[in-house]
Amino acid sequence: MPEVDNIRAITLVLKNFSRRKARLILSSIGLILAIAVIVSTFTVAHSMQIQIGDEVEKYGPNIIVTPRSESISVPYGSVVVGNVTIPESFQEKIYTIPNRMNLRTVSPKIYGQVEYGNSNLLVVGMISEQEADLKKWWNVEGSLPQSDTNQVLLGSAVSSFLRSSVGSRITINDMPLTVVGILSETGSVDDYSLFLPLHTAQSLLNQPGVVSVIDVGAICKDCPVEVISQQIMNALPGVKATPIKQAVETKMEAVEQTANFSLLLASIILVVGCAGVMNTMLASVHERMKEIGIFMSLGADTIHLYKIFILESLILGLIGGLIGCFVGLASSVLAGPLFMNMMISVLELPLYPIPLSIALSVVASLTACLYPAWRASKIDPVQALRTV
Amino acid sequence: MIVMNDVTKIYEMGSVQVFALDGVNLEVEDSDFLAVMGPSGSGKSTLLYTIGTLLTPSKGDVTIDGKSIYKMNPLQRAKFRREVIGFIFQTFELIPYLTALENVMLPLYLSGVATTKHEDIAKEALRKVGLALRALHKPTELSGGEQQRVSIARGIVNNPRILLADEPTGNLDQKTGNEIIQLLHKLNDKDGLTIIMVTHDPDKARLSDKVLQMIDGRVVKDEEQTYQKTR
Repeated sequence: MPEVDNIRAITLVLKNFSRRKARLILSSIGLILAIAVIVSTFTVAHSMQIQIGDEVEKYGPNIIVTPRSESISVPYGSVVVGNVTIPESFQEKIYTIPNRMNLRTVSPKIYGQVEYGNSNLLVVGMISEQEADLKKWWNVEGSLPQSDTNQVLLGSAVSSFLRSSVGSRITINDMPLTVVGILSETGSVDDYSLFLPLHTAQSLLNQPGVVSVIDVGAICKDCPVEVISQQIMNALPGVKATPIKQAVETKMEAVEQTANFSLLLASIILVVGCAGVMNTMLASVHERMKEIGIFMSLGADTIHLYKIFILESLILGLIGGLIGCFVGLASSVLAGPLFMNMMISVLELPLYPIPLSIALSVVASLTACLYPAWRASKIDPVQALRTV
Repeated sequence: MIVMNDVTKIYEMGSVQVFALDGVNLEVEDSDFLAVMGPSGSGKSTLLYTIGTLLTPSKGDVTIDGKSIYKMNPLQRAKFRREVIGFIFQTFELIPYLTALENVMLPLYLSGVATTKHEDIAKEALRKVGLALRALHKPTELSGGEQQRVSIARGIVNNPRILLADEPTGNLDQKTGNEIIQLLHKLNDKDGLTIIMVTHDPDKARLSDKVLQMIDGRVVKDEEQTYQKTR
């Protein structure tokens, strides 16, 4: 014997839907498309941002903290370092800024020149782990110098000039040093530098407790690097924190612009989807005129009718949202490698866009049902009952 | 008791005014069985729907048990309709995607009766109209007579005091029509249900307490048939 369903608004809605399955899907198509575009836009943009973010991280520091100084003496790459130095303790103070969670690496360094025979050598004192973390492109033969030892890492040009290899010993300013690593050619000023542990370099240069520059690697995929720079300047007196504008950041902006354009497109599709739902609902009101008349003759009031239409649109919105999310995710995973030459992994995506998209679909659908529901509540029951 | 006092319903058809009801005065006692007769367009159904709280008159007043139904707001009127009035129609007007039982349960849902009680109450109403065994069939699987019985069960499931029947036998053959009339009389006799039935068929009106003849929206004859009473 078939089971008897209790009659509730949801029973009426589901039973009505069960005989109009095709219409149900058709009326959700607009919503499905809009949500699919929104989800796939988010997915692709997010994956591109991850990719570009990785590039940003590989690129090195994105804030350089230097003393606020007018005099210039040592050029190091594109950064100009003055004679004035920064207390080494500032390294710790940087971690007091409000956006400290965005700080990935803080690498203090001291620069100086030392005479070696007839030549001058550029000495860089560093904390090896921090520097290597910032310069992920470094390729070291041997190892990095350990803290507070007389170990040295040589840039490729210096290594050729000194004819040194890993294990060689050199003496600079009466300080014996052991070569523990040779840096492969980087094409930068690093090729001409000797890298020493920070405190060893401070002793060599007679500048204990100070540094020339602090390189900061901030995770700035979702934070403005300018704000962090300003926070550093507020926290540390007498320093200048310079954000480095990089090409990858421009790329990031391009991705954001493309994503915004896609979202605009999705918004338009969403509006069209809403119009589709409204149209279907209005057609449904017209088609079910007699049914509405019967309901009214049985004592249904506006609240009953609104409840039924709101539930219908809620289900349409849920279906649109769920299928839209699935289509959006599936299409970006499939289309990513084909059209953008990038792998998109759904597992790496944050989860919040899924419920957010479904909620958006439901809200859009609910908005679209208000006018049809109002129309239904205004139907003249007698005229409706006379409808053939 | 139903009282209509100088009730007029005017429809505007372009520049022409059509009087669907024209100054109707009527009193229907509790437990009366009233038949309303008249040619097409005479205002029979308009009268029925006006009493049924579905059609606001252009003029005049309708009171049921002393309550002026068109002075209520729409929500109060819908509640009053759920509690006091049941409808049955010529074309049964069952919801096609619901079974007979679910159709009968529908007014219970609208009245806010606890869902746990729906099935028992609806089955009892179906039993009353002799259709308990067809409860789980959809309307399309039922004969016209059976559909009308479901419609009656739906009309009485909330224990209303008034049942309004708009040509309930109009779509049925003679024999089935007579069975439906007998069923309505049984409900009138046993449960004391006030019934107002619109019909074209004098035979069906014959057993009523009172017959109302209408022409052009006016009551032209208001005839007592007390000798026909069976109770």
